[in-house]
Amino acid sequence: MISVRNLKKNFGSNKVLRGIDFTLKDGEKVIVLGPSGSGKSTFLRCINRIEEPTTGEIYLDDTLITDKNIEKIRQDIGMVFQHFNLINNLTVMKNLTLAPVILKLMSEEEAEKKAKGLLRHIGLLDKVDAFPASLSGGQKQRVAIIRAMMMEPKVLLFDEPTSALDPESIGDVLALIHELADEGMTIMIVTHEMNFAKEVGTRIVFIDEGKIIEEGTPIEFFEHPKTPRVKEFLKKVL
Amino acid sequence: MEEFFSKLVELFSTPEYIDSLWHGFLLTLEIAFFAILIGFLLGTIIALVDTAKPSAWLAVPKFICRIYVTIIRGTPMALQLFIMFFVIFAIRGFPQIVTAILAFGFNSAAYTAEIIRGGILSVDKGQTEAGLALGLPRMVIFKKIVAPQAIKNIIPALGNEVITVIKETAIVSMVGMYDLNMAAKDIGSGQNMSSYVVPMFTAALFYLAVVYLISFIIKRVEKGLRKSDLRAES
Repeated sequence: MISVRNLKKNFGSNKVLRGIDFTLKDGEKVIVLGPSGSGKSTFLRCINRIEEPTTGEIYLDDTLITDKNIEKIRQDIGMVFQHFNLINNLTVMKNLTLAPVILKLMSEEEAEKKAKGLLRHIGLLDKVDAFPASLSGGQKQRVAIIRAMMMEPKVLLFDEPTSALDPESIGDVLALIHELADEGMTIMIVTHEMNFAKEVGTRIVFIDEGKIIEEGTPIEFFEHPKTPRVKEFLKKVL
Repeated sequence: MEEFFSKLVELFSTPEYIDSLWHGFLLTLEIAFFAILIGFLLGTIIALVDTAKPSAWLAVPKFICRIYVTIIRGTPMALQLFIMFFVIFAIRGFPQIVTAILAFGFNSAAYTAEIIRGGILSVDKGQTEAGLALGLPRMVIFKKIVAPQAIKNIIPALGNEVITVIKETAIVSMVGMYDLNMAAKDIGSGQNMSSYVVPMFTAALFYLAVVYLISFIIKRVEKGLRKSDLRAES
């Protein structure tokens, strides 16, 4: 589904990504782990070019997406942010329907019907006309997730979706992601939730200093880590 | 005190004085209104160029905008007015009011640009990123997401700028234009009146009334824009 070749990203003289090669297959749930500042969020953000790669190639299916207008392609790549990024000046309903309606993926009635269905599903139908400022963090993030789902993307990218949440709402958000995963959604997620990684991940990718230094199934990764760097990391976080 | 009242009566019972003040007042409003309009339009353009995503063809316009803002903000308004009157538009018969409007308009544009730029930059980057991630074009993101949020931050400061321009126009009396400020001075030095107190305080009241009215309108607009804030609900 997604393949990345020799992806590099510099911020000025700071080399954040130093050549990443990576493939994401249909239906996979890839967990991206790594210490802070390792470049894992930047890696995720380069995939839909919210961050412009310095060099390298990214393919979505067979389309090279690094050399052309990205707007249309972004519709297929959903993204959920650490700080939710709900549009502050729009109600929950408008947050959900704005993009699909403007991009003519569906009519306004269709979009509203779909939005209501999703809101009912996550138990927030009563918030349909609320502004984001009146929602809790967990509620915001769940709305942000269904906002991405409104676009019916091929893949969902999660950039530390629970890092800004209180412990109580982390569970709600993870449960929703878990559910999407079970439904067969292709997922890439940067997280620090190790239990979630073990439970949901089909593959773990470990990034350090801008390179993938180890990857494998959760069992391989957590129980038989190969590199000293990962052993050291696991000792600290588990 | 008695003399003050007699002067007050004199001012308001002499059609000539009332006429002068009224004409001065209209000139002040006229200059301020068009200057604010020019300032707003030009300022908006500068701010948009300034905050646009850097690209090759915008490099020169961006540079020009920075220079413009720096020069205007770095020199006195009175000097800018003199330069407009005695250098750039030192053409016999060129309407003074146009020169004055342009001088204040060009000045206000620099401040307005900074206000609008600040307002746009104060919108969290995540808001734009959310729009990008959904596949929205940048124009749509600006129109539907960034601009509405920026306006909330801009309105109060813009209100201040409007008030500043109205009061600052008083310096056109330095180039001999007969605005409200000049009218007050003129009446005060008149043979019959020979008192500055009454006309000047009357002029002050005129300015105050306009400024008060504008503050009131701005407050109303602000309140309306705060719909999506929690503050408005509590």
